[in-house]
Amino acid sequence: MPQTDDAADRLARLLAATALGDRAAFAALYREAGAKLFAVSLRIVRERQLAEEVLQDSFVSIWGHAAGYARAKSAPMTWMAAIVRNRSLDVLRRGSRETEDVDEVLAATLVDESAAPADEARRAAGAHSVRECLGELEPDQRQSIALAFYHGLTHSELASHLRRPLGTVKTHIRRGLARLRECLARAGVEEAP
Amino acid sequence: MRRLTDDLRHALAADFVLGTMRGRARRRFEALAAGDAELGRVRRQWEAFLTPLADAVPPVAPPARVWRAIEARLAGPRPAPGLWSNLAFWRGGVAALAAACLVIAFALPGLRAPAPAPSSGPMLVAVLMAADQVPRIVVEQPSEGMLQLRMVKPWVDMTQRDLELWVIPKEGRPRSLGVVPWDRDSEVRRAGLDAMLRDGTTFAISSEPLGGSPTGQPTGKVLCSGAIARGRRA
Repeated sequence: MPQTDDAADRLARLLAATALGDRAAFAALYREAGAKLFAVSLRIVRERQLAEEVLQDSFVSIWGHAAGYARAKSAPMTWMAAIVRNRSLDVLRRGSRETEDVDEVLAATLVDESAAPADEARRAAGAHSVRECLGELEPDQRQSIALAFYHGLTHSELASHLRRPLGTVKTHIRRGLARLRECLARAGVEEAP
Repeated sequence: MRRLTDDLRHALAADFVLGTMRGRARRRFEALAAGDAELGRVRRQWEAFLTPLADAVPPVAPPARVWRAIEARLAGPRPAPGLWSNLAFWRGGVAALAAACLVIAFALPGLRAPAPAPSSGPMLVAVLMAADQVPRIVVEQPSEGMLQLRMVKPWVDMTQRDLELWVIPKEGRPRSLGVVPWDRDSEVRRAGLDAMLRDGTTFAISSEPLGGSPTGQPTGKVLCSGAIARGRRA
């Protein structure tokens, strides 16, 4: 679902109406964003049942905190996806997971996705920038960051998955994030402090 | 928390938003960000940086029960409405309607039992109601050795509890049919199930510690219960 400005505007309007207690707007918000947010959680928690619970909890939270969206000053999908990601990462801490079931094909696809400049028309400016910036990273850095972001892998899970020493993985992530920050600042995404 | 340097704020926030920070560290970060406006700002900045990556994930349609559960949770605690207004909650379609007919038939003396269920229809029905007479779960037996539980009104928040289904014979102690989900429809399969289901038997749902009752008998509050109403085949 490419986030065009139109789609973002519509989601922002629905969030504003949701903040006023408009149930129909909230239902429309779910219809528009639910499938994307479900997919985001599913990749992290990797169990449908858990992802369903995350989606449920997240939308109850969105309903309760929609008024806070105005203050967040971010794109509506970004605001909602941050809630879903946060909730997904929270439920992950309950069980210690094995990393063997990371989908190798998916992981490779993700690296491809993050390496390729956004080709779908008019993605949100933010998405465009972060994907271009990811493309500037070393492949190791890019892969580690993509796996952590999309699959919710910890440093040690990454190390075992990538068969690299823990310290090396941590360095890749730290340097990758630092370069990302520089790149995004250059691209003008970072606000002036 | 003024001693946090700008670089440290960015390192922590990036770790938090990327998701490599986990468990208690996330709670500590949130507490820190609540008291440090600058850290909160840096966190939102990283969210704005990284979260748009999620746009690349192809959507996956969630099952309809997720929205039903969300709606049920928004409803929050309501004053106990009568049975009629609760019919709106009965989302099981034909099966739930059949259940409603049975309840009404049994509630009104002088009315005959409804027409026999078709052989493909549910053989047995129980409507489990809470103390305020609000129907919460409809139990059906679509085939031998199996029960289907349809949520009429899911619970709001049972995250630290499990629901346990009990079958209570006319005389005797409750027998567990296992832990069931609190927020969606489910099925119970069990050897010897049919022998437990006699006329006059009652189903009950109790709130138990995670994993179910440690004693083999209900230890928590009984949330809803209902007697079996058996349909007869033609």
